[in-house]
Amino acid sequence: MKRLSTLLAIVVLSFGCEEIPPVITPVMQVESICDEPAPITDQQRQVLVEEFTGVRCVNCPAGSAALEELIGQHGDQLVAVSIHAGSFAPPYPESFDTLRTAKGEEILSFVGEPLGYPTAVVNRKKFPGGFNLQLPRNGWPGAIEQELQEDPRVLIDIKNNYDEATRELETCVTLQMMDDLSVEESVFLTVMLIENNVVDLQLTPESSEPDPNYVHKHVFRDVLTSAAGNLIQDEVTAGSFVQQSFAITLKEKYKADDCSIIAFVHLGGDTKVVLQAEKEGW
Amino acid sequence: MDLLQIFRKTLTAGALLVFGTVISFSQNNNGGTLSGNLEANGNFFIRDSLIGAANTPQYDRQLYGADAWLNLSYNNWGFDFGLRFDLFNNSNLLNPTGSFTGEGIGRWYVHKKVDKFDISVGYLYDQIGSGIIFRAFEQRPLLIDNALYGARLAYDLGENWQIKGFTGRQKQQFDIYEPVIKGGAIDGYLSFGEEGRFWAMAPGLGVVNRTLDDPSMNSIVATVNTYTAEDAFVPVYNTYAFSAYNTLSAGPWTWYVEAAYKTDDNLSDPFGEFVLSDSSVVVGDKLYKAPGTVFYSSLSYAKSGLGISVEGKRTENFDFRVRPQEQLNRGLVNFLPPMARVNTYRMTARYNAATQFLGEMAVQADIRYNYKRKFGVNVNVSNITDLDNNLLYRELYTELTYKYKRTWQFLAGLQIQRYNQEVFEFKPDAPIVETVTPYFDILYKFSRRKSIRFEGQYMIAGKDDKGEGHDYGSWLFGLVEFSIAPSWTFTVSDMYNIDPGKASPIDDSGEKAALHYPRFDVFYTHGANRFSLSYIKQVEGVVCTGGICRLEPAFSGVRFTVNSSF
Repeated sequence: MKRLSTLLAIVVLSFGCEEIPPVITPVMQVESICDEPAPITDQQRQVLVEEFTGVRCVNCPAGSAALEELIGQHGDQLVAVSIHAGSFAPPYPESFDTLRTAKGEEILSFVGEPLGYPTAVVNRKKFPGGFNLQLPRNGWPGAIEQELQEDPRVLIDIKNNYDEATRELETCVTLQMMDDLSVEESVFLTVMLIENNVVDLQLTPESSEPDPNYVHKHVFRDVLTSAAGNLIQDEVTAGSFVQQSFAITLKEKYKADDCSIIAFVHLGGDTKVVLQAEKEGW
Repeated sequence: MDLLQIFRKTLTAGALLVFGTVISFSQNNNGGTLSGNLEANGNFFIRDSLIGAANTPQYDRQLYGADAWLNLSYNNWGFDFGLRFDLFNNSNLLNPTGSFTGEGIGRWYVHKKVDKFDISVGYLYDQIGSGIIFRAFEQRPLLIDNALYGARLAYDLGENWQIKGFTGRQKQQFDIYEPVIKGGAIDGYLSFGEEGRFWAMAPGLGVVNRTLDDPSMNSIVATVNTYTAEDAFVPVYNTYAFSAYNTLSAGPWTWYVEAAYKTDDNLSDPFGEFVLSDSSVVVGDKLYKAPGTVFYSSLSYAKSGLGISVEGKRTENFDFRVRPQEQLNRGLVNFLPPMARVNTYRMTARYNAATQFLGEMAVQADIRYNYKRKFGVNVNVSNITDLDNNLLYRELYTELTYKYKRTWQFLAGLQIQRYNQEVFEFKPDAPIVETVTPYFDILYKFSRRKSIRFEGQYMIAGKDDKGEGHDYGSWLFGLVEFSIAPSWTFTVSDMYNIDPGKASPIDDSGEKAALHYPRFDVFYTHGANRFSLSYIKQVEGVVCTGGICRLEPAFSGVRFTVNSSF
């Protein structure tokens, strides 16, 4: 019996050690490209919707269509990103590109896995009745509407400077505090690169074979901060400004004209709530 | 933390304290009885991307997951107290593709019978009739725990009649859903005639109401506001479900009948169609409002070795949930009885008919005959369609058993199935899976303590237009089990994808792989304690308990379980 258990222990231990490590992205010291901050005007409350999807998720196109209708309804007040992550996200062997990213997976595990797809997280807030931050499609319109009722506690301005020759993008994000955020435990800034209208395979209810002409909207490509956001260490009392600069070289496969930058400010600690989001192309 | 949470935490802490005091008190007094049981599972995940055991937090980084339940109950002075500790550490039980961690008091209750009154408070399990309008229950394999957190009061109206009422909210892991559920029932028992010509009936009437909370309603309103004028509807806060049922027994006959009606409810149709602004159509979850009905009846006959039962059920718009936003197996208020045989062999149980809440017409018949405890035969047929007569599931199951002396037991049979994968598993355009599965099971007893058992099953799957096997194609399954009573059981089994089908994985060579899915188990029983250690490679499949099913991803790893009663 003793021998048997020793043998079993060896078997278990020899198998169970392989893990996929997290991605470490040390803070890049980017030279500031920001001008003197100027007061941000004409900005209302803008809500972040992070849709989690996958090319093998048959019901996701219906979710994406519903999200597009909501964007049509709310316009600039809705900042959407579609993150390919989770069990339906592995690409097909025939896929032109991998829409799934390690950083997207990191964001999914940061906000929590859904019970089913299509799913989205609205302003990283837990709504009544929800199990975690993830909401099924029927929950999106109500959550967005509720979030739009509030006043923005911070305003965000994005200035992009893109060099076509080198494919280098420099971004300056300016935050203007409308409320005293120093009362919060911690405040974070996340900056993402997204690409719109990416044509690639997607499983749809119409056929058992994936559709090669499917147009993927606002696809998450990369994050310029760390996946869980960069901690803001500057003063965040009402009226103060915070500026951060970022730089990234766009991969050849990205269509620069369809890319944009998304920035959002969120809290740390018990809640991950997003206070304001903004999107800007160039 | 809001006030409500503080209140609930205080209450649970209070319950613990009371429980602790009671136990210590009872030990001093030597009165009352304390009993309990422990169930614990540990999973070690070993990534195997070829079979699809990958891309979940457990395979990628957590490598280990566990869940455990410790249940204690104590009876004294006519009181019953219960307390259950639930634990989930990186568990994949709640969501097979996700990870859930949480621990705490999963259940507590106090029950007391005072004269004709029967009082219970806490997390309660109960049902009305067969559960068609209300059932609060637990199914650990699918992590369904629909306990009602509230109060229940019953009163005996004479010897054979009881009336009950309850109110509360449904449990959601370590949280509570907002909507309020309340209801009541009256149950009776009448018997007539004397010895030999005896017959009896057990009639009952029940009603359940569910009231939506404001945030859930606001969310429904916002969703409906995105619909076109034709699709939009005015949602309801209150839904009532009524049910009348009766069991009639006369000699060898038993006849159960139940009819249920549900008033207008906000429902979600997973196959709803939306016409978009560019007049294209997408299919997806769509809210609508409709009243619902269920008619269910079963008739059985049992006498001297012969048992016959016939069942029928018609369901229309009878999805009854805490709130319509809840999906899959979550937030279920009721339970609809399954209408197909509950199979136990690995291959015959591979395709299961999940109960359809929105529309189903089902019939089932089962005949069993035993001759002198030597020969036995069982034939079961079931047929399930939707309300437009599209086939969902059909099964013919036959089984023959023969016992030779005291040392041999033979069992063999054939199962034929039709399974609508498109509906049950949301797989678009999937053809109806057709299977023919012959199987056998032979048991030989060497001695009073030692025995060996062999199982074999061959599932032959149908082919689609392109000549590819349905789903995973054909399978061969074999198992050898060696038991040394009363403590040890060893099993070795393999499920071999002998003729890979459309869904079978593709290996590095680009070909469909004929993979083996081996499994080794050791079971050890000592008194009321049972331990098991297994090495498992398991293909993805549908796992069901009582007609409630979900798609489980492939598993690869080592599993350890403990079951203990004290």
